[in-house]
Amino acid sequence: MPYDIQTWVKVAALSGGGMAMGFGAIGAAIGEGYTAASANEAISRNPKLSGDIFKAMLVGQAIAESASIFALVIAMMLLFTKFASHVLMIPVLLGAGLSMGLGAIGAGVGAGYPAGAACTGMARQPAVSGRLTTNMLIGSAVCQTPAIFALVVSFILLFTDFSKSPVSPTWAAILGAGISSGFGAIGSGLGGGLVAQASCDGISRQPLTATPVTNVMLLGQAVTQTTAIYALLVSFILMFKTFPATDLIAPPMALLAAGLCMGIGAIGPAIGVGFAGKSAVDWIARNQEHVADLTRLMLVGQAVAESTGLYSLVIALILIFVV
Amino acid sequence: MEDLGKIHQLIVHVMGHDLTFNLELMIMTWIVISALICFGFLATRKKSVLPGPLQVVGELFITIFYGLTEDALGKERAKKYAPLICALFMYLLVCNWLGIIPHLEEPTKDLNTTLSYGLMGFVIAHHAGIKAKGLKRYLLDYCEPIFFMAPLNVIGELAKVISISFRLFGNIMGGSIIILVVSYLTFNIITPPFLNAFFGAFVGTIQAFVFTMLTLVYIAVQVN
Repeated sequence: MPYDIQTWVKVAALSGGGMAMGFGAIGAAIGEGYTAASANEAISRNPKLSGDIFKAMLVGQAIAESASIFALVIAMMLLFTKFASHVLMIPVLLGAGLSMGLGAIGAGVGAGYPAGAACTGMARQPAVSGRLTTNMLIGSAVCQTPAIFALVVSFILLFTDFSKSPVSPTWAAILGAGISSGFGAIGSGLGGGLVAQASCDGISRQPLTATPVTNVMLLGQAVTQTTAIYALLVSFILMFKTFPATDLIAPPMALLAAGLCMGIGAIGPAIGVGFAGKSAVDWIARNQEHVADLTRLMLVGQAVAESTGLYSLVIALILIFVV
Repeated sequence: MEDLGKIHQLIVHVMGHDLTFNLELMIMTWIVISALICFGFLATRKKSVLPGPLQVVGELFITIFYGLTEDALGKERAKKYAPLICALFMYLLVCNWLGIIPHLEEPTKDLNTTLSYGLMGFVIAHHAGIKAKGLKRYLLDYCEPIFFMAPLNVIGELAKVISISFRLFGNIMGGSIIILVVSYLTFNIITPPFLNAFFGAFVGTIQAFVFTMLTLVYIAVQVN
């Protein structure tokens, strides 16, 4: 039985909303559970501090949840807004849902790590709890950056008028943009969380190194986001470049493949870069004299770990511009 | 919602080519520059051992960034590069905070601004690298670990420019798009102060610091 366009748009809106909240619920739940587990451990070590640790746990969980709240916002918008009935609205709605849903996974898990480390750190070293809370807030806020990129892509998809573009390659470009930014945000959120966890741990081990530890944490987190930025770049190109109309099947598939290639290719490097940053921050806290050497080694190692993300970017750009 | 892609442009025809000027961006950049010049003038006007409030702020910036530059580059080179690093941070900080004031826009919301500072850092870092190592050693470093990796090393260096400038651009523009959309959805009732505080003041400060530190680190990696 053939349905009209309006029905299909409604179908896309409903399934997009479902995917946004379904995928978006994965990460934050894991992160918050990790935080609560660490808080339990912390309270059993130092029961006198249970009030402070409880507060820190709640604050950390609230930040870890913000990525899921972004997903909730997008899901609500998809469910309750009335959309124009145009063929291209179908990929737009699906792409917006996928982008935000997948994009919330990494940031949710990642922001749970520093919150957990801050709880155990407070139990170990109650005197630095103020500094630890500040560091945890900065670290987990930076973890949210990839989720914010995914949210921005969803918003741009929802609020840009694609009705004048040709249907045939544009549907794939839109879907590819959503997939690229969504998958691309997973690894960066996780990796940034690992770095921030090490910094909270380090400050509680050696409070005197708080300043270099926070600085190197910011650097390490910035480098973990690089592949998410490549994914953002690819989805911007896919959204804003005008593609000529075509009847062939190859050009739209190339655009879809470009989104998939960059998105999935960004997951691994970002987690690897996160490991490099985590270890560097960990050892800076124990070996304060060699901050410069450790930072340089971290950056060189991260650059090598990131090269596979660079290969994905090159292939994605070839798929968009050459094929 | 029409604001989403709006850019004020002045298009001038010169010898068959269109030159495009983003007027709003230029005005905002000049506002930032004049604010910084005023700050510099007021902070150094009455220098004394007992510093005034503005002098304290200025000294704070300079002490912190001289320290960071010395850590990364060593004492000798810090004298040369610390003023650049300090000025870059103060400029980006004021740029990112400008959006908090109603009717003003962050210059860093435009990719042209961030890309030019990314390119500036790239050129400075490589110039410093060539001067420190000599041209031959500098070129040989591209052939690490083996000579046919050279094209990928060059792409890796160029990707640094893209990542550093898109990081700042994405964060600031993302913040402003989120503020715009959320204000539209809630009919401008509750959100702007809180969201502006988060995206303008907090994220803006962190991103200005990250951009500055990355520029410094790129110089350090080239030099050492």
